[in-house]
Amino acid sequence: MRKLKALLASAVLASMAVGGIATGQEGEAAAPPITEFPREQTLIINNPEQPATNPPMFNMWVAGNGAAWSNGLHQLALDTLWFIDPDAGLDGALYNQLAAGPWEYNEDFTEMTVRLREGILWSDGEEFTADDVVFTVETQMATPGMVWSAPFSENVESVEAVDDYTVHFTLKQPNSRFHALFSVRWNAAWIMPEHIFSEVEDVTAFDFNPPVSLGPYTLHSFDPNGYWYIWEKREDWDKTAIAQWGEPGPQYVIYRSIPSTDNRLIEMVNGNLDMIHDLTPEGMFSLVQQSETSRGWFPGFPYAHPDPTLPMVIFNHQNEMFQDKRVRWALALMLDARAISMASYRGAATLSAIAIPPTGTHPRDYHGPLQDWLIDYELDTGSRTIKPYDPTIGLQVADMVRPQFGDEVPTDEEAIRTAFGYGWWKQDIEAANELLEAAGFTKQGNQWMTPDGQPFAFTLNTFTEGVINRMGTIIAQQWSQQGIQVTAEADPQIYASSLPLGNYAAATAWSIETWGGDPDLSFFLDSWHSDYLAEPGERQTARNWQRWQDPRLDEIIEEVRQTEFTDPRNLELGHEFVKLMVDEMPIIPVMSFNVFSAYDTRYWTGFPTAEENPYANIVTNWANSKYILTQLKPTQQQ
Amino acid sequence: MYDYLIFALKRFLQLLAVVFAGISAAFLVSHLSPISPVETIIGRVAGQSTYSPGAINSLRETLTEIFGLNVPLHEQYFNFLGRFVVGDLGPSLIAFPTPAMQLVMLALPWTVGLLTLSTIFTWLVGNILGGLAGYYQNSRLLKAFGVVAIGVQPIPYYIVAFLMVIIFGFLWPVLPISGGFAMNVRPSWSPEFVLSVLRHAILPATSLVIVGLGTWFLGMRALVSNIVTEDYVTYAELAGVKRDRIVGSYVIRNALVPQLTALAMALGGIFSGTVITEQVFAYPGLGSLLVRAVNGGDSAVVLAVSCIAVVAVASAIFLIDMIHPLLDPRIKAE
Repeated sequence: MRKLKALLASAVLASMAVGGIATGQEGEAAAPPITEFPREQTLIINNPEQPATNPPMFNMWVAGNGAAWSNGLHQLALDTLWFIDPDAGLDGALYNQLAAGPWEYNEDFTEMTVRLREGILWSDGEEFTADDVVFTVETQMATPGMVWSAPFSENVESVEAVDDYTVHFTLKQPNSRFHALFSVRWNAAWIMPEHIFSEVEDVTAFDFNPPVSLGPYTLHSFDPNGYWYIWEKREDWDKTAIAQWGEPGPQYVIYRSIPSTDNRLIEMVNGNLDMIHDLTPEGMFSLVQQSETSRGWFPGFPYAHPDPTLPMVIFNHQNEMFQDKRVRWALALMLDARAISMASYRGAATLSAIAIPPTGTHPRDYHGPLQDWLIDYELDTGSRTIKPYDPTIGLQVADMVRPQFGDEVPTDEEAIRTAFGYGWWKQDIEAANELLEAAGFTKQGNQWMTPDGQPFAFTLNTFTEGVINRMGTIIAQQWSQQGIQVTAEADPQIYASSLPLGNYAAATAWSIETWGGDPDLSFFLDSWHSDYLAEPGERQTARNWQRWQDPRLDEIIEEVRQTEFTDPRNLELGHEFVKLMVDEMPIIPVMSFNVFSAYDTRYWTGFPTAEENPYANIVTNWANSKYILTQLKPTQQQ
Repeated sequence: MYDYLIFALKRFLQLLAVVFAGISAAFLVSHLSPISPVETIIGRVAGQSTYSPGAINSLRETLTEIFGLNVPLHEQYFNFLGRFVVGDLGPSLIAFPTPAMQLVMLALPWTVGLLTLSTIFTWLVGNILGGLAGYYQNSRLLKAFGVVAIGVQPIPYYIVAFLMVIIFGFLWPVLPISGGFAMNVRPSWSPEFVLSVLRHAILPATSLVIVGLGTWFLGMRALVSNIVTEDYVTYAELAGVKRDRIVGSYVIRNALVPQLTALAMALGGIFSGTVITEQVFAYPGLGSLLVRAVNGGDSAVVLAVSCIAVVAVASAIFLIDMIHPLLDPRIKAE
């Protein structure tokens, strides 16, 4: 009898727990009890975000409301005027998406006209028109705290629908890059459905659940705990802007949030994931060993996709220690890029000596054309003139990893440069010492002393984990070995407070991000103008974390502002910027941020590849990744 | 009875004082965080887009005002106390304006379900086996279990959890390693959903049980080992009392008092969630929510979770205090 009671009690407890869960997950009971997703029709993608904080929230236009972004919402359901892919693109990196053609400015960049595609439908059958664009801008201008309220309010004097398919903006001041607000790099200002939001009393409290889609998929169902979101292809997918690139292959797309990288790897090996956003270097090496059908961006080593982001050493220029460029150059020449590559990425880094990420179209526009200039570049150490650039560093790293990875490592010189980078500054301790001595530093034993007699010592803030943490640690070690007391400090608030408030001496992070698919540098460069420089102790607004200013830099930025986006002059200005950065070395560029994205060809083929068809960024949380779906074909495996 | 009521009243006042001190400390700690929710949001909104510095400054001012962070700390504290009394802990700052309690209540059933069952199961089995091992000290089986318990006890939890993932997710992939239930079922009272929840809970629950069992087992065995040397046990044995009765009523019952207090603490503590379990098994729950809230500077959610934990622990101790006099006559006499 006692046993029976115990059994009953256990059953009651268990059912209470399950019942609590069942009743706690509101809004889902109406969904069909069992739904199946045939594997040959379903693409399963890893969403790198943590599970959504506010799972039923799809109103992505409100800042900080907890809506997940890369759960498929901004990849599959939202859309905007243009996309600029960080890679080659299906027909060039610039996509006219909802716009029928490129932006049209007047002569002084105070007006912009956009012509829209006709026949595009929202998923509820309503036609997309100029009214949606006007509503998007006016609503956010009238409602502070929405994602694009501030940039619209700052720029837009008025916006009007000239007709159903033409929008005309009048700007408050000249801005040759106004279109960038509607141009997706990772994301951009998404268009709101006017017919839905105009009926809502408070747009900031509206959950937009289920979302009315402008993309080729609609929401099928989602986990009330935010771990997965399932999207289903619209029957009228051909009435969306992506149709110009073909029909998306998968009937269903599932975005799964899997915080542990080990679990991601296992799920892919088990056939439960088709695309992984990111792994550790070791995880990637293990995956390709475990699964014959899995691979990365490169077919072999180094596998990873270089993001248009440039990890670097950032010096705080408001710190007296780093105001002399000879000191900054000395610190650069003390570094061994090969060791940094091995320690951070196990050799799978794409190095860059110049202040441009070595990815997308940049090697073609910058790294390649500037090779001769870099090789001939001369640096005065105070005692002699040296040529600090070594164009073979990438080749050397390839040779270092070849014993371990064998045939996986490319042998073609061009392929090596694409994967490992062109070259870097050769480690030259003697020249570094000469530069420090010229700057008034002295060496006592193995300790460098500053001109005012203090030990040359500082802290290097770095990430708490991952490759950037490893990079910071090895750089601090290399400087310490040369007599500079550098301590690497794992800083969980590096971007939230340390860099913005200037509470650091030096850091490994990044202040340069580019379009990747276009040589234009305005994406980050405009914010480097001295007009935005904060006083010491005050918050520096993104992205000039180094708080560096130079009249020559301001001149470049001001000319970029007056140069149309597609004007070839932008590339010349970009080259001038690179040369100024080499001369002054305000930051030490190191490499691109390589993402170990992986995909599995067991169920789907047609993914972009570095070697044959780099038509899109495979990093799954980028909105641009939607173009991949149009190229996928099922392998018919079930 | 009068004495018991006075005792209960004193303990209740103590409970109120503990809750007040606990939530005040939680408020202070959560608001002293250097992490700004405004900067977290700005980082997300502007980090990957063409957002001019002027626009960033403008957004910063707006969000600071909307979130009410431009109000002095003491004013925020009194506002918080006023809301706490009516069970309103304000809007979350990482999911504004969704109430913080709404987010907590979404995660709470998972944590309570997983941890309550695994804690009670671990407590029961660990104490029963520990009690028997302490009394029947020559039993080979119980000795062997003791060796295993001592061997498993020092293994860090995350190692056990990863081993479970590798064994049952990779080498012999028979159990799900991610999520609270399968993607092709929907939350309801259907057998499919219930079975799916139970199936997904096997690995996280087992990992918790494996690591937790040893603690209770070893603790109970040590307690019983001392109690069996007490005069009253020897006297009972000499008096010919049945061994079952000696184990159950004389030994284990006496040893249970401290274990029951520890159980109350453990049950109260479950409201903080299990961060590692949730991360390793991609399992829903309060722990991950708390980590996201801390990283996002969301003092409202941190406070909501902390307040629940404070109230739960204090209430559990209060209940145990109320039960103790019934279990142990000595406490009643005092």
